[in-house]
Amino acid sequence: MAARGHVQDPNDRRLRPIYDYLDNGNNKMAIQQADKLLKKHKELHCAKVLKAIGLQRTGKQDEAFTLAQEVTVLEPTDDNSLQALTILYREMHRPELVTKLYEAAVRKVPTSEEYHSHLFMAYARVGEYKKMQQAGMALFKIVPKNPYYFWSVMSLVMQAISAQDEKLSQTMFLPLAERMVEKMVKEEKIEAEAEVQLYFMILERLGKFVEALEVVQGPLGEKLTSELQSRENKSMKLYRRLERWPECNALSCKLLLKNPDDWQFYLLYFDSLFQVIDQNWTPPLEGAPSAEGEVHASVAQSISFINERLATEEAKESKHLRGPYLARLELIRRLRERSCPEAMQLGEPLEHMFQFFVKFGDKPCCITDLKIFLDLLTPDQHVQFINRLMEVVPLGMAGEEGEAFPADTRALQRHLCVTQLSRSLGLQHALNTGGKLSLIKELKAHYHHGLQFGTSCLKTELQFSDMYCLMAAHVYLDLWKETGNQSMLWQCMGLLEEGLTHSSSNAQFKLLLLLLYCRLGAFEPVVDLYASLDAKHVQHDTIGYLLTRYAESLGQFAAASQSCNFSLRAYEDLFLAELLIDADKTSEYIIQAYKYGAFEKIPEFIAFRNRLEHSLHFAQVRTERMLLDLFLEADISSSLEESIKSMSLCPEEDDIPWENLRDNRDLTVFVNWSPADRQLKEEHKQCSVEEETLWLRLRSLTLRLIGCVSSLTHSSTPHNSEKTTENGVTTKPLVFPSLLSQLENTLNQAVQFTETPPRAEYPFLGPVASRLVQAVSSGCCQCQLSMFQLPVHLQELQSLGLDGSAELQTQISNLFKSIAAQLHDILEKCKGDLLEVGDDQSRTQHWFLENLVYFVETVCIVLWVSQYCASVLRPLKSTLQKKKKKKKEASSVTPAVLLGFQEFSSSTQNLLKDALEHIRSQEITLSALKLEALKLELVEASFTKTAMEKVQSSYLRSLQEIGELLKKRADSFKSLKI
Amino acid sequence: MGYIMGKAEGSVAREEWHGHVTALSVAPEFRRLGLAAKLMEMLEEISERKGGFFVDLFVRVSNQVAVNMYKQLGYSVYRTVIEYYSASNGEPDEDAYDMRKALSRDTEKKSIIPLPHPVRPEDIE
Repeated sequence: MAARGHVQDPNDRRLRPIYDYLDNGNNKMAIQQADKLLKKHKELHCAKVLKAIGLQRTGKQDEAFTLAQEVTVLEPTDDNSLQALTILYREMHRPELVTKLYEAAVRKVPTSEEYHSHLFMAYARVGEYKKMQQAGMALFKIVPKNPYYFWSVMSLVMQAISAQDEKLSQTMFLPLAERMVEKMVKEEKIEAEAEVQLYFMILERLGKFVEALEVVQGPLGEKLTSELQSRENKSMKLYRRLERWPECNALSCKLLLKNPDDWQFYLLYFDSLFQVIDQNWTPPLEGAPSAEGEVHASVAQSISFINERLATEEAKESKHLRGPYLARLELIRRLRERSCPEAMQLGEPLEHMFQFFVKFGDKPCCITDLKIFLDLLTPDQHVQFINRLMEVVPLGMAGEEGEAFPADTRALQRHLCVTQLSRSLGLQHALNTGGKLSLIKELKAHYHHGLQFGTSCLKTELQFSDMYCLMAAHVYLDLWKETGNQSMLWQCMGLLEEGLTHSSSNAQFKLLLLLLYCRLGAFEPVVDLYASLDAKHVQHDTIGYLLTRYAESLGQFAAASQSCNFSLRAYEDLFLAELLIDADKTSEYIIQAYKYGAFEKIPEFIAFRNRLEHSLHFAQVRTERMLLDLFLEADISSSLEESIKSMSLCPEEDDIPWENLRDNRDLTVFVNWSPADRQLKEEHKQCSVEEETLWLRLRSLTLRLIGCVSSLTHSSTPHNSEKTTENGVTTKPLVFPSLLSQLENTLNQAVQFTETPPRAEYPFLGPVASRLVQAVSSGCCQCQLSMFQLPVHLQELQSLGLDGSAELQTQISNLFKSIAAQLHDILEKCKGDLLEVGDDQSRTQHWFLENLVYFVETVCIVLWVSQYCASVLRPLKSTLQKKKKKKKEASSVTPAVLLGFQEFSSSTQNLLKDALEHIRSQEITLSALKLEALKLELVEASFTKTAMEKVQSSYLRSLQEIGELLKKRADSFKSLKI
Repeated sequence: MGYIMGKAEGSVAREEWHGHVTALSVAPEFRRLGLAAKLMEMLEEISERKGGFFVDLFVRVSNQVAVNMYKQLGYSVYRTVIEYYSASNGEPDEDAYDMRKALSRDTEKKSIIPLPHPVRPEDIE
């Protein structure tokens, strides 16, 4: 083959400097050098490709493409050209061209293993599974290496996975794959673990669990070594699928004897035990009781099994395992659920939980262990339980105020555990206001006391007593919710701000602060908080919702843009496929999986991609981002039409996978000790998804309608009128009315949703209400809908002309009037002080801010539709004037629609003046507020003030940004003339 | 709760085939239970099965808790890698210890003889 074999290929030497320039990002020099080389050596195709790479990287895509094609048609077979073209086409996001390249290469050099394997990978990159199957076989024929054969098999499995028709997978692809593997098995040619894995995958997908079991337990199974206990785990999975409960039970028994701390096997043990009991299973008369040995088929056996595990544990001097102790509680629960009297034989849960606490109370996990068994206690045992635990918490001497503190971190952990259990039992919630306030005092005292243990902690570590701080914050929130006293909220935020100064890596502090600032409408501090969480990749999909809901709605447009970017960049990093620009990355993972024979990972990658592609949050971020860009930029830095073009928004197309949207939000990201009845429930989640989806529908339709308005405006301008008459139509005339009626329907649904009484309120740490309710109540949705109705009427007017359309004109004028009134109402709902400062506290009225944003958004839409109206009315007016001149009718009346528009335009301008005035006065009021003057008694007052100041500053910045945008929109209105 | 990530890599011929710990992490609330040791044990067992000569890992020199834990698990510092870690802005941040533990295949424990001088990241494979 061309360059590779030669040690001193002169071409390699000639090309070297170009490669170096490209590697160093010096694209211009690379191009120059390539040109120089091409002058001397016209036939050196690779130089051309390298030049094309340089051009591509300097933004000259078209030139680069032409050049690349010149080489491609020559069907090169030298390594340098092929590799350079592969790189280039990948950078151009045209991986399909690489397949063409190597198809030609293998045609010319049919025996090249290397080119065949490149061809295979090129197909993998574009997901051509059938061709991969063939390419794999072709490779195997040239070089009979097992991996090639199994590449081909895996590609069959991929065809099965991606087939729309499940029947086709089950009757064609998978059986064929199975036969291919069987052939190798019969010939005893199976070599690698990956091959057995693949065989197992195929059998599993075919539902051939018995056969799969034989593979796992037979000689082939011996190759499964990369995962510990792989054969046992796989056998267990299959026993369950086959509902072979005796084997399942016997195997879990065996595994528990080996490792009495593996919780999953306790659960399987109990599941299978009760299945065996319910089936009245009896051991066979002869031979082993089951393929896996002894089976437990009675409650008595299970009780003694658990007791034996406990006895073994008790006999140990140290390093007790938690498994057996928790298993006993689990068994009690299950026996009680079945109303088995034998539950009594296992003793009193309270006593067991107490003993567990004695053994493991100093481990941080003790709370999560015990929490799931709290329901075994009767309500009248709760106080007794907590008191009993507290008795064994070693605290020092009580101080002057009656408070005793733990002397070391183990004692602290015990005390903390009891405190957490007490909250989980609802004992804290039952306290009255006074009780809660002294609880907070106590928690804070413990928090501050515990800081001494963590003086040498690294900044990446948490303080031992952080949880006290967080819990005190939660109690403050309880008080705020109960009393409506906002000073509770401020103190809560102050406490968390303080917590962060001692423990700068505490994600829970950050998350809660982030939530609270957002709820108060202060987005400014949120961006830094979120950034400091250092969320990675998929986390933007799972917790990004905390931000995106608020990003735009609070008028921090620059910050909003940034936070959308957080998420979008993450999605770009993660996505494969056509969806986003960077198709390569995840197909790269798939290719790696092929290379290393990690076949079982491939369907996982694909499932992961689907999970992201169908993410509700992703669809929201994308839609909001486009809307935000339009509201901020369109008609300011570039025309509406250009903006829409640059985001390749196509109103006809709906690219949101409505049917498959997935809620990937992590709604349990907050530490939460609420008792069961205050926890997030399934109905909350459903309600929240319904709400979020409705909102997304409204926004997506709004976006697409804006796109329509833009194309209408564009096509009705004189410049394009010739073209439109040629075609006889403007852009797809049916799209607009259809979208409009969809918007109307969705808005009706939304109104219904907000009015359906009484929707359960989400728990405070659960999902946040979407913007839907507030948006509907602000009136902006209705007003935007009315505005979008105008073009339909104006199109009619356009075809009727001014004469003989009196009725229509009145209708349009009335619509103008109604919109002006609606806009006025929205603005009224924005008027109020964002922040009020009283004697001892300040109060926020942040909803005014959110309404103000709805107002601005509506103004933008009003402006764009008005521009369209003007573009229709302008020619009508000029025709009328020409006629007037001809007829010299000086006294004729101005048509209603023109008057209506002019009135609307001037009233809107006045309204905008009013709005700007309001914003200015708010800014002045806000800046004048002196938070320092607040008399805050607490020691931590400075932190509380910090929180207040952040909110104040954030409001100011929001007002400034909103004001600036509104000013620009007002200017555009002024210049809108017909 | 926690996870471990690793890989097998290196040349068999040069007796450098080994298990590498890419990441090891246990959530704060599940610490002090010996989970990290258990996870390491699993990775070592798999590395044994794959015929590795040793297991290695990189750790920040400042992460004293981790360094001590690895020492307790039988690891020793093989070499220091200068400025192995960089901050998110690309600036060099901190040195790493490359710690190793010999597996049974390395009968003479040749793989863990400490290097006399620190190395730079570009010098390691």
